[in-house]
Amino acid sequence: MSEAPAVLEVRGLEKHFGGLYALTGLDMEVRGREIVSVIGPNGAGKSTLFNTITGLYGPDGGDVRFEGQSIVGLKPSQITRLGISRTFQTVHLFPNMTVLENAMVGQHSRSRSGVLGAVLRLPSQRNEEERIRGKARESLSFFGPRLSGYRQEQPAFTLSYANRRRLEIARALATEPKLLLLDEPTAGMNPTETQELTDQIWRLRKDRGVTILVIEHDMRVVKGVSDRVIALDYGKKIAEGTYEEVAHDERVIEAYLGTKASA
Amino acid sequence: MTDVRSWIRVGIIAGFVTIFLALVGLIGRFVDLNLVGEQVTFARLVLIAAPLVAGYVVTRPRIQAGERRALAPRDAIVAGAVSGATAGFVFGIAVVAADAFGIDRIRSVFLNVSEPLIDFVTFGQPPVVGAVILTAVSAIAGGLAAGLRVTPIVARRPITTAVSTILVLGFLQRIIPIALDQLGLERDWLYSRSIGGLTWLGAIAVGAAAAGLSVLNARKGRELRARLFSAGEEKTGVAPAQLVLVLVLVAVLVAVPWVVGEVISQVLGTVLIYVLLGIGLNIVVGYAGLLDLGYVFFFAVGAYSTALLTGAALNTFTGSGPPAVSLDLNFYLAIPIVLLIAAGAGLLIGAPVLRLRGDYLALVTLGLGEMVTVLIRSPWLVPLVGGPNGMRGVSDAAIAGFGFRETQHFYYLALGFVLLAVFVSWRLSASRIGRAWTAMREDEQTAEAMGVNTTRFKLLAFAMGGAIGSLGGSMFAVQIGSLTPASFEVQVSILVLGLVILGGLGSLPGVVVGSLVLVGLPGLLREFEEYRGLAYGAALVAVMILRPQGLVPNVRRSRELQEEERAQDEWAQEKEVEVAAVEGMAT
Amino acid sequence: MGTSPAGVAGVQMRGFERLPWRRIILVVLGIAIVLVVGIGAWKTLALPAAEGGYSAAAWRDFVVEGVSQGGIFAMIALGYSLVYGILRMINFAHGEVFMAGAFGSYFFADAYAGSGFLNRSPVIALLIITGVAIAVSVGTAALLERLAYRPLRHAPRLVPLITAIGASLFLQNVFRGFFGPQPYGYPKPQLLTGGTTILSVPITRVQLLVIVVAVLSMVALQLFVARTTTGRSMRAVAQDSEIASLMGINVDRVIVITFVIGGILAGIAGVLFSLTFGQVQFTMGFRPGIAAFTAAVLGGIGSISGAALGGFLIGLLRAVGPPLILTGYGIPSVFSIRDAFVFLVLVLVLVFRPGGLLGSGEAEKV
Repeated sequence: MSEAPAVLEVRGLEKHFGGLYALTGLDMEVRGREIVSVIGPNGAGKSTLFNTITGLYGPDGGDVRFEGQSIVGLKPSQITRLGISRTFQTVHLFPNMTVLENAMVGQHSRSRSGVLGAVLRLPSQRNEEERIRGKARESLSFFGPRLSGYRQEQPAFTLSYANRRRLEIARALATEPKLLLLDEPTAGMNPTETQELTDQIWRLRKDRGVTILVIEHDMRVVKGVSDRVIALDYGKKIAEGTYEEVAHDERVIEAYLGTKASA
Repeated sequence: MTDVRSWIRVGIIAGFVTIFLALVGLIGRFVDLNLVGEQVTFARLVLIAAPLVAGYVVTRPRIQAGERRALAPRDAIVAGAVSGATAGFVFGIAVVAADAFGIDRIRSVFLNVSEPLIDFVTFGQPPVVGAVILTAVSAIAGGLAAGLRVTPIVARRPITTAVSTILVLGFLQRIIPIALDQLGLERDWLYSRSIGGLTWLGAIAVGAAAAGLSVLNARKGRELRARLFSAGEEKTGVAPAQLVLVLVLVAVLVAVPWVVGEVISQVLGTVLIYVLLGIGLNIVVGYAGLLDLGYVFFFAVGAYSTALLTGAALNTFTGSGPPAVSLDLNFYLAIPIVLLIAAGAGLLIGAPVLRLRGDYLALVTLGLGEMVTVLIRSPWLVPLVGGPNGMRGVSDAAIAGFGFRETQHFYYLALGFVLLAVFVSWRLSASRIGRAWTAMREDEQTAEAMGVNTTRFKLLAFAMGGAIGSLGGSMFAVQIGSLTPASFEVQVSILVLGLVILGGLGSLPGVVVGSLVLVGLPGLLREFEEYRGLAYGAALVAVMILRPQGLVPNVRRSRELQEEERAQDEWAQEKEVEVAAVEGMAT
Repeated sequence: MGTSPAGVAGVQMRGFERLPWRRIILVVLGIAIVLVVGIGAWKTLALPAAEGGYSAAAWRDFVVEGVSQGGIFAMIALGYSLVYGILRMINFAHGEVFMAGAFGSYFFADAYAGSGFLNRSPVIALLIITGVAIAVSVGTAALLERLAYRPLRHAPRLVPLITAIGASLFLQNVFRGFFGPQPYGYPKPQLLTGGTTILSVPITRVQLLVIVVAVLSMVALQLFVARTTTGRSMRAVAQDSEIASLMGINVDRVIVITFVIGGILAGIAGVLFSLTFGQVQFTMGFRPGIAAFTAAVLGGIGSISGAALGGFLIGLLRAVGPPLILTGYGIPSVFSIRDAFVFLVLVLVLVFRPGGLLGSGEAEKV
């Protein structure tokens, strides 16, 4: 378990939509280089958590701190620039842009050439484009031949489902994040693809030093990947620990299966 | 049996369409517009247009149970004839009824119904006889169209190409003969001076040439083009053929004003102004996906700023007078200021407004455009912009005494700015900025999540688009030299939007094509001046329903708009070509 | 190969980047507007009559005019609101539906005036005229729906809007082509000339008629939507058309009915408008259309009471706003920029409260 300082701290986070209370005072933290899984039954607030962290929603109470600064109230693009990136539960690629272009968009916040550079093709702009392209290729290469070669010039809508999920991760990687939020990355994948992605998540941390927060339903992935697991229900944390600890926690079992099953 | 009912139904609709065309005046006014010889007049064409289309539509192959089923040739021709006959019949009845009711009484309501019109559509015969003839003629038209449909594609393509080329050249009777004259070429064999349109000899020659080229293209076209364009690519990195093409294009652009004469050059000048406007709006709507219905705002800002900065005067009832704010700068010093003013205005307006969703944004921009329209005409702003009387004395953008207001000179001035704008637009679209815009357009929330500051980029698009638009306004002010509020109404916004859409959203060549079609053609074909609005409106609706990606689509955009349908059409066409190829080989 | 530190080092959020810029701009803008309005109104009311001030009678007239015209706007606005509620699209061509009815009815009105029928039996004549207007408007609306909108039901949002613009342009020019570009004078029956006094407020007969008809129509509509089966179906489809169709509702039919109702109201409004302003012309639908749309948005688009409220409000704003706010600043001919005033209101409403006055302050989430 990592002893690094907390990269992400969530304190008393609250979010409601009218009468629906999605987050009801959630406390959690993620330390540097950790892989933490967030589990919980449907409606527990997991995606809302991600959306609130990344600035899509403003919280109704509580605080989110990234590397010590509060990021509440910042725009999503600002939060991405600070170093948090994410994938989505349903894949949100740019369907008519090529695979490579999708990844290049990820580099947007790491580049800065503007109108003048673009129009005049200044050397600084040209170099930057090269760098962006290179970084994008490198992110795609994480998935090996699947997203390389001629595939990179194909529009994204031609990709298979699994490749789309991979592209989304590669695109998030291209933003050079310190913290990566993966929202059900293996949903809809077959067992082989799931196993492959589990290994790849592990490698993400090992080779690139990325801190990862994963929402998952597939317990094999959770088991294979997590340093720590956090279980949510009704918008707050109900258990935390290693996979074994949480998997056998009564409250967690109750949340998933109902009271009788835990008895 | 149900088939016949649908044929009749289509025919009835076609009949009503012809009635509509007659009521609107498209037949009556063009009795004398000769396209080919004295026989093929535009009015006659309009008369049989609907039955022709009916015949073509009725024989449309349907996809049934996964297979494409076309009608057998004989059935098809029957279908077309029935449909056409019905159309003619419906129209004929209308004519008879109109005659019985009293043409003059109808005329008091529908202005275009007149004795000459009735005479024309009944071929000079009494109404009932005329109606019968109409039915017969329409039946033939429908049958012909159907026959065309079932002609094997190897023959069909050349025929349609030939016919369309003949018709187009017939329409361009105001342009091409003049150009030929200027070039010193013989043209009487092609265009008759007395009738105006193509001669029969000319028509046959043109048709044969077009058909021949079509056949050649079908057989060898792809090969030739591939070879031509890649020749030498391995050695120099740029295919010499492409380079030659670009050079030829440039040469043509430069030479045009001298070839086509003054009148056409003036129209081309206006076309260039609208190309400039189109390039600007293309950035806002095509690249960034923001629907702006008030683009006349930037047009007006550009025009009036240029006027005020280059020492133009207000037209008053007693002559002229100075505006409340006025500078007398050199045009080329004024231009950067105009651009800044427009960009600034764009940012100011954009900031509160650009977060609105599509429809609402469209209406807000419309409102802003309308505000400007009302305000420049108002008594309140008369001291600044002259109110309904307008302004005069705009600079002619002279360099060292060489003025650009003269028609042919203006063309070059406008061309220069157009090329600049094209360059800037192209570079932007191929850069990180263009990528950000595309991402925003495809999925705004996700783009934002991936680090694109959507607010900033929307503002950027709006400001840049506005600046280029203001350049168009500036050109307009120089071209005419004086300004009146009548030139700055909502029609401008809609026209520019129309040409961007028609040409293809996000496509620069499309803007040029759209401009030529929607601004150039009406400018040259003066008789159709009145039908501009009708044509635009119909074209917009038709384009949105049939081909939303426009005439010269930006490949990515067309994917966004119509992926599956295009794919299906391509599949269907390939099947046809395959079949034709097989047939061709078998014969 | 060790593990390299992830991310980009040292990206700090600068102080000023954290400021909610948009909110600041909006607040400043809001304050500026309130100030401009307030000061203008105060100055106007302080003006003595000789320098352009208005008498109490003048204000009364403005208000009556505003309410009356507001009724017309409300009826047109309902058409926009209803269609938006069901299809989530702005029927840009609705102004032309209104124009079509007015124009269509003109020929009957003219004929009846010529033959004297209009003055002999004004009530019957007006009823027939209105019937014709309704028929033409409904026909136009139904054709629009069938030919221009139905094929694009599932297209990305930009497409139907552009189609609507094209349709609007087309319809305008059809009427221009059929009947010519000049305005035609619309006759008024003798019964409707002159004025009367209600509660010691002078009001012309036409204005009175407009208000009465407008209110009655809107009440009738509200009852229809709330009480009848069809009305219920309309509400269902507006909420969720997919589920509605699963419940056995014929969505296509409901949509057509919605357009028809909008057309009926627009037709009646067309006659009322023509009686008020005395002429018809092929361009007459454009500006009232925008004003009506502003009204619909002002009241909260998709809502019937909202459209009604918005309509009357816009009418009042249009009649009372310019004289009240602009005269004080010495702006000449305030009525000539009346429409600009309405457009400004449109812009401001959409910027500050896209959900409308009765809405939540936020536009619908996409």
